[in-house]
Amino acid sequence: MNFSKKLNNGKFIITAEIAPPRGIDTDKILKGIYPLKEYVDAFNITDNQRSMVRASSVVMSKVLLDNGFEPICQFTGRDRNRIGLQSDILGAGIFGIKNILVMTGDFPTLGDEQGAKPVFDVDSLQILKMVKLLQEGKLINGKELNGKPKFNIGAVFNPFAGPEHLQIAKLNKKVELGAKFIQTQPVYDIKTAKYAHEIIEQSGAVPIIGLLPINSLKMANFIKKLNPHSVPDSFLEKLSKAKDPYSYGWEYALNLAQSVTEFGRGIHFMLVGKTEDLAQFIDYLKNDSPYNHKF
Amino acid sequence: MVVVKLKPFNEILKILNDYIRITVIGCEIGSGRCMQGGLREAKELAQFLKNNGKEIVDVLTLGGTCIVEKVKKISFKDTDVIVSLACGAGTQVISEEINKPVITGVSTLFIGSDSHKEVFKEYCIACGDCIISTTGSICPIARCPKSLRYGPCGGAINKMCEVNNNTECVWFTIDKKLNDIGKYFSFPEIDFSDYSFSNHPRRFKNEL
Repeated sequence: MNFSKKLNNGKFIITAEIAPPRGIDTDKILKGIYPLKEYVDAFNITDNQRSMVRASSVVMSKVLLDNGFEPICQFTGRDRNRIGLQSDILGAGIFGIKNILVMTGDFPTLGDEQGAKPVFDVDSLQILKMVKLLQEGKLINGKELNGKPKFNIGAVFNPFAGPEHLQIAKLNKKVELGAKFIQTQPVYDIKTAKYAHEIIEQSGAVPIIGLLPINSLKMANFIKKLNPHSVPDSFLEKLSKAKDPYSYGWEYALNLAQSVTEFGRGIHFMLVGKTEDLAQFIDYLKNDSPYNHKF
Repeated sequence: MVVVKLKPFNEILKILNDYIRITVIGCEIGSGRCMQGGLREAKELAQFLKNNGKEIVDVLTLGGTCIVEKVKKISFKDTDVIVSLACGAGTQVISEEINKPVITGVSTLFIGSDSHKEVFKEYCIACGDCIISTTGSICPIARCPKSLRYGPCGGAINKMCEVNNNTECVWFTIDKKLNDIGKYFSFPEIDFSDYSFSNHPRRFKNEL
């Protein structure tokens, strides 16, 4: 069953995230994710994530499609104005890309081209409205399209950001403008995962809980710096004492993933890690776990 | 007010290489208020230039330098070059009105406040389509790095902006202000901003 069907019929969804290459060699990435082919429903293809230059998300999505993977093509408002975005979203439609994920985008000074001119002509809500219009067969300026695209549209939600009521209002607006699924920023405890799940479910979209396995103390501190309340102290303490921090962080994320299968609708691995291990874990979830009926 | 930053005196001296007789103009409106280019700084600069072999013809201020009538009244005879500490607008007015070389001694930064003594904050980017009546008269276009007009991004953690993490996210500032005055931000219908209002160079014809 494909991603699209699962979105509509309530089945549990597993997505994972990959970045296009810094260069033109896509083989290494394809080989890397090959073990996940039958296990991950769709792969997010990031759009110059964290303002770091990579190959085009649209082109990489097409490469995935050509190789039998289901892509979710990410679009941000950081690097293209409404002319460029409409053009590239139509381009994604021409390529047969069925899923897109829309966000405002990180600021350039957080990345590796700090002197770049930030665009932000349109934010996440405006891009969603843009896509809505394109799907209705019109450009923003009202001109009729010759052939209209159709996408499963996703957006994002950060349960740690505030002010809370404005974040929730904005989330609701995203759903009102056509977002069918919402992926979250990485969470590291079940309470936050449940909170995010409930808020998103109330908005009417399918919640897909973000998980970013932490593989070192350095990475944990980086995440903590970005989002001080996201990583529980108890986790940090155990991680710092672990003989093999990579395995500890990995197991922790998998345990959390399994907990989400109890109440949730989906999980999103923001780092695929050892793909064989991940494939094995998903195989367990789908076949032998107590919640296998949800898949 | 327009906030400016005084250039290092050595840098100014370098540009003045070919000139001997110099007039220094300060401006009291923006440059003076932020203590970067008023009469006081003009005098300091003049003294520095004098110490470095230049001849100072005059040090003056017109109050506001961007007022054309005031600039027209000044004669700059015996002056080889005018050093202006006014903002980009004021300096260009001098250049347009006076047939002498004009160089700037400041970089113009932004439209901001002088209510914080040492820290000047950008409050307005002159977008040409003011929306602040709906946001507690606090501008998210100028004060959010992404100019988000429809609520905060997902980077507003612990009330702070993820881009400048020593700065409060303006959507928290707006939310608090609206709360304090018994109002709340209601999402308007999402529309596309008209950036043609701020395509430069802009002109405004006063039809009153």
